[in-house]
Amino acid sequence: MKIAVCIKRTPDSESRFRIAASSTAIDETGLKFDIDDFASYAVEVALQLNEKQGPGEVVVYAVGPDAVQETLRKAMSMGVDRAVQLKTDSVPYDGLAVAKALAAELAGGGYDLVLFGKHAFDTSSGVVGTATAELLGIACVTAATKLDIANGKGTARRELEGAAETVEFSLPAAVTIDEGIARPRYPSLKGIMAAKKKPLETKPAQLGDVRITVKALQLPPDRPAGRIIGEGAAAVPELIRLLQTEAKVL
Amino acid sequence: MGTSNLVFAFILTLGAGFFALNVQRLVGYMQIGKSDDRSDHPLVRLKNVLTIGIGQTKIFRDPVAGAMHATIFWGFMVLTAGTVEILIQGVFSKFSYALLLPKLVYQLYAMSQDGFAALVIAAIAFAFYRRLVLHPKRLEGDKLEHTDALIILGMIGGLMVTLLLTNACQYLLDPSAIGPEKFVSRQLAGLIAPLDPAPTRLFTVFWWSHALLILTFLNYLPYSKHLHVATSLINVYLSNTSGPGQKGVMRPMDLEADVDHFGAADVEDLTWKNLLDGYSCTECGRCTAACPANLTGKLLSPRKIVINSRQRLMEKAPVALGDHMEFMHPALVHGEGDDAGATTLTEVLEHRLLDTYITEEELWACTSCRACVQECPVSIDQLDIINEMRRNLVLTESRFPEEIQPAFESLERNGSPWAFNPGDRALWAEGLEINTMAELMERGERPDILFWVGCMGSFDDRAKKIAVAFARILKACNVNFAILGQEEHCHGDPARRMGNEYLYQMLAKDTIGTLDRYEVKTIVTSCPHCFHQMGNEFPQLGGNYEVIHHSTYIERLLQENLVPLQSDHGQRLTVAYHDSCYLGRYNDVYDAPRETLKRSLPVINLVEPPRTKDRGLCCGAGGGRMFMEERVGKRINVERTEELLATGAETIAVACPFCMTMISDGVKAVQSDVPVLDIAEVVAGQLA
Repeated sequence: MKIAVCIKRTPDSESRFRIAASSTAIDETGLKFDIDDFASYAVEVALQLNEKQGPGEVVVYAVGPDAVQETLRKAMSMGVDRAVQLKTDSVPYDGLAVAKALAAELAGGGYDLVLFGKHAFDTSSGVVGTATAELLGIACVTAATKLDIANGKGTARRELEGAAETVEFSLPAAVTIDEGIARPRYPSLKGIMAAKKKPLETKPAQLGDVRITVKALQLPPDRPAGRIIGEGAAAVPELIRLLQTEAKVL
Repeated sequence: MGTSNLVFAFILTLGAGFFALNVQRLVGYMQIGKSDDRSDHPLVRLKNVLTIGIGQTKIFRDPVAGAMHATIFWGFMVLTAGTVEILIQGVFSKFSYALLLPKLVYQLYAMSQDGFAALVIAAIAFAFYRRLVLHPKRLEGDKLEHTDALIILGMIGGLMVTLLLTNACQYLLDPSAIGPEKFVSRQLAGLIAPLDPAPTRLFTVFWWSHALLILTFLNYLPYSKHLHVATSLINVYLSNTSGPGQKGVMRPMDLEADVDHFGAADVEDLTWKNLLDGYSCTECGRCTAACPANLTGKLLSPRKIVINSRQRLMEKAPVALGDHMEFMHPALVHGEGDDAGATTLTEVLEHRLLDTYITEEELWACTSCRACVQECPVSIDQLDIINEMRRNLVLTESRFPEEIQPAFESLERNGSPWAFNPGDRALWAEGLEINTMAELMERGERPDILFWVGCMGSFDDRAKKIAVAFARILKACNVNFAILGQEEHCHGDPARRMGNEYLYQMLAKDTIGTLDRYEVKTIVTSCPHCFHQMGNEFPQLGGNYEVIHHSTYIERLLQENLVPLQSDHGQRLTVAYHDSCYLGRYNDVYDAPRETLKRSLPVINLVEPPRTKDRGLCCGAGGGRMFMEERVGKRINVERTEELLATGAETIAVACPFCMTMISDGVKAVQSDVPVLDIAEVVAGQLA
């Protein structure tokens, strides 16, 4: 089986973010970047499927500047066979533009399965996976929490509000991966060394028109400081009053 | 030369030859291990042989068993001289040391033979009593081990008895041959005389029994755990566990090496020295009896680690060396744990030390406290094997408890084992007016010391108070110091201890880069792990600094009367100090924290738990255990806390932020309200 995984490089979610002087992007100084969490689940799922299905190929794709090469190497250190960088100066905000670049590249690849993260931590748009599927004209299942391939068909589980559904789909297909599906493996030193020798191809990205851009970024307002109303049972009536009148949660 | 001399010469040649063959075989097996240069520092090594080996210093850590063993050991040393004489006499009947030695020396020698033979008999009697009646827990082994032990004791006893009886008969036959200095033999002769006043036959029987027993014993050794008789002194000489070099330093590792796997998964990945450790282990169990993991019901037993290495060597080496059938007849019969039971070549090749003999669970239970290494009377390094096997698990196989993956990832991304924002590293120091190295550099100044705060001191709410307390002491003493602030990040020691050498070297090299950029010379830290890593292991990567633990530094300040202390000494406080492993067993710092407490609290009542100083019980956090769940058995920190509270302490003092967390949790777990304080907090609390 041949599986493609499209990954994105995003900053560590534990970081403290500042807005850059342009006010349309975050200040990247001091930030640590890695494979986006959802994309790393997709890589793990691809590797597990490949191990289960027997000899096949797993290829990672990323759109972006040369910095994404580090991210692609990381995926290869986990066990991915080879990587392709679709080179751009920066990653456009417009998911459809990215999807066009990916679809143009993936179209002739002969992939049975194309995996994505459900969405990326930095934009939370969730456009690229579905848009790429549409451009490739293949089935698309979103937010899978379980994925199996057998007899040329795929089954996926999706968590809904208060229920879960299992869907079946024909191949080739695109699947976007939700959290909880698999724990991404930690690359061994052996894997890291091997990744240095694996092929990483760089091609210019055939981006579509970029029709959406960020105009302004704002940080959430600082949380107001907590207030101590009093101690013990005596403080309870006042607390209830405030929760009713001020916080309006009761 | 009579017929019997010729017969004996033949038997002697046969016995010695067979032993030599076994020696050659066992030495050959060791060569499947990796190389390791131990030719350095011959004088230090000789000193170890004289103290730990001949002096039996470690044996005496258990005074009763120690006296027993030392008697047998010294007896053996002395009696070996006599054995040589007897063997020569077997071939040349007229031979005697009396021909070579001055009379007085010979008489002393003769007396020593008789005296020690009697002493060894007494010690052997006690050893039997201990094995058969007392049943000490640490000697619990399987049936093979037990049988082996009894055979050995029986043989040694037999050797002594036949020696004395031979002398006694000889005395009856020729009173001039046995002088009064052989007082025991002469007494014994009095018992034989009524049975047979001229015991020619008995003499022959006892002489031959003794001589044959010597050769039997010699050739039994290579098939027994008792092989340690032959290898211990050599092992002590070649060991690094008591120096030369800094104790507890992990082996350097070349990550660029072109190898197909890293660390140790099988015996070929260990060094020949690790394999010699296996030959030297007589399964006394002192290591396992001191192991905090084993004490609290975990699967790990350092003794088993060593025995398993030997067991696997006996199985694998013949195959690896081309003798394809010999693995069926293992040279050392005894193993520990389930027998892998290889009966075919394929099975031998499918087995490996990891998984077949030593499980992942055992390896991850280790707190790296070094208690096993400290206890071993023959300087075996159990921890070295564990560390190498952890390296294989992480670097080659990426197998480890899932809880430590976030620690690895956070070390990589955030520079600390916890997912704290690196930008918050110096928040603890806000408002304290503490300079950073960068600020001083900008002003063209240089501090006398760098205060290395560590990840705990920077991020952990409890440990931040220790950082503040130590900074207050430094300020009160007008010490010119600085911190790295946001430029500090973990040096990678936790990663190294958990087997992730790659991550460790990345972080350590980066740290060394930062320290060298500021031309740092002296570092003071309140964390024993930082202290050990930066002071003792950084030199492997080219980082050479004077690193001082804060207990030593504060003690110096107190000694020089630089600390402005309150004149009111307050109430007499009973304090128990808990030794940190990386301060104590790794670096021999036992007195500085205690002195610091005594000097800052002049009316202190300092109490010690039974397990203290180099016998101190680990808090349970070392070796990366801080980041893992403790699901099996009793919690180590609770066990330790109970020991500390049993001293009647009103305060527990620690000198390590990891111990602080573990003991504080332990105090909470047993619902006590005894405060746990770092020594810096005790001193800061006494500042004027």
